[in-house]
Amino acid sequence: MATRDLVLAALFAAIIVALGLVPPIMLGFIPVPITAQSLGVMLAGVILGAKRGGLAVLLVLVLVAIGLPVLSGGRGGLATFVLPTAGYLVGWFFAAVAIGYCSERFVGRSQSALVQVTGFFMAAMIGGVVILHGLGILWLAYGTGTGLSTAFLGDLAFIPGDILKAAIAALAGRAVMVGYPLLPQRA
Amino acid sequence: MKTLYVQGNTWLHRLSPGLKLGGLAVFSLLLFATRSPVVLAAAVFLAGAIHASMRFGVVRTWQQLRVILLSISILTVFTLLLNGPADALAVFLRLVALAVLAATITATTSTAEFIDTITAGARPLERIGLVKAADLGLAIGLVVRFVPEVLARYEAIRDAHRARGLKQRPLTLAVPLIIQTLRHADEIAAAIDARGIRGQNNRKLGEGS
Repeated sequence: MATRDLVLAALFAAIIVALGLVPPIMLGFIPVPITAQSLGVMLAGVILGAKRGGLAVLLVLVLVAIGLPVLSGGRGGLATFVLPTAGYLVGWFFAAVAIGYCSERFVGRSQSALVQVTGFFMAAMIGGVVILHGLGILWLAYGTGTGLSTAFLGDLAFIPGDILKAAIAALAGRAVMVGYPLLPQRA
Repeated sequence: MKTLYVQGNTWLHRLSPGLKLGGLAVFSLLLFATRSPVVLAAAVFLAGAIHASMRFGVVRTWQQLRVILLSISILTVFTLLLNGPADALAVFLRLVALAVLAATITATTSTAEFIDTITAGARPLERIGLVKAADLGLAIGLVVRFVPEVLARYEAIRDAHRARGLKQRPLTLAVPLIIQTLRHADEIAAAIDARGIRGQNNRKLGEGS
């Protein structure tokens, strides 16, 4: 991996960590605040692609594991990996890789704005909703022994928020692609 | 950024990080294999005894565990409502035992020790050409170095919003933050290569992409 790609991944990991430290952002049209950290994970895949985006998220997870309180709310340490909700944490890595892989396939510079945003949105939905929640549900069901259907019901509450985040990630991803055309799209 | 590590020289501090992580993994596998409240209660007692023998003090223990205990309580209540008291008790005891032991290991292993262990663990991956083990330490250092800068940039962008009377939206905050941060990647990469931190081969690779 080129030094530049390593640095890009590290910088994005720093962005994800920083997004966990800022207060949740309120959206105009819904009364629920949005935690920006999981948005950062989607953005890593959309903007950096599979390899560098995956590495960025992996670095965040390594920081968590070595005892830095880098998750939102000051969480961190090995204890976060032994909870039944750890699937959503470990799933970040697979989500970022999948989002990056799909973004690289779906989106090209020559497409129209609508196609680009739609492509990014589909990628963020596949990785950030289907894969992330799928893994989270499996882990939760195994960890608590409640069974898949109840884990799925508990998970449903978080789906609307993540669909919204996928939409924001798609818009932001396209805005960065247009606003910073020098960023190499392929790792 | 303050780590969750607590300085000290107990037997757990001196134990190798690899052994501690391996022990935690075995402990968790054993706990997930049983549902007996007696065994799980014994595990909680064991983890609690190990934690208590570190003499961190009640305040620090509470600070380290309160967020995780909240998550555990929520999960326990859900299990109680869905599966009944027997399962809820098993879930509660198992998670408390694991969380206490994991937090104790986190508190007794320094960041540097963890990085060394991860680097050593990545050696087999290096041999099959997947990653360069030494890059991990470099990347972790870079992240820790740049978090304060990203935060400062975020605050500047937020202040700019306020000064213009704009509403703070995720899009208008995130996009300039990302562009401003990533723009420096080239200079940082050049600085790293100029110091030869990653060796000669990578510089050639970097020029190619």
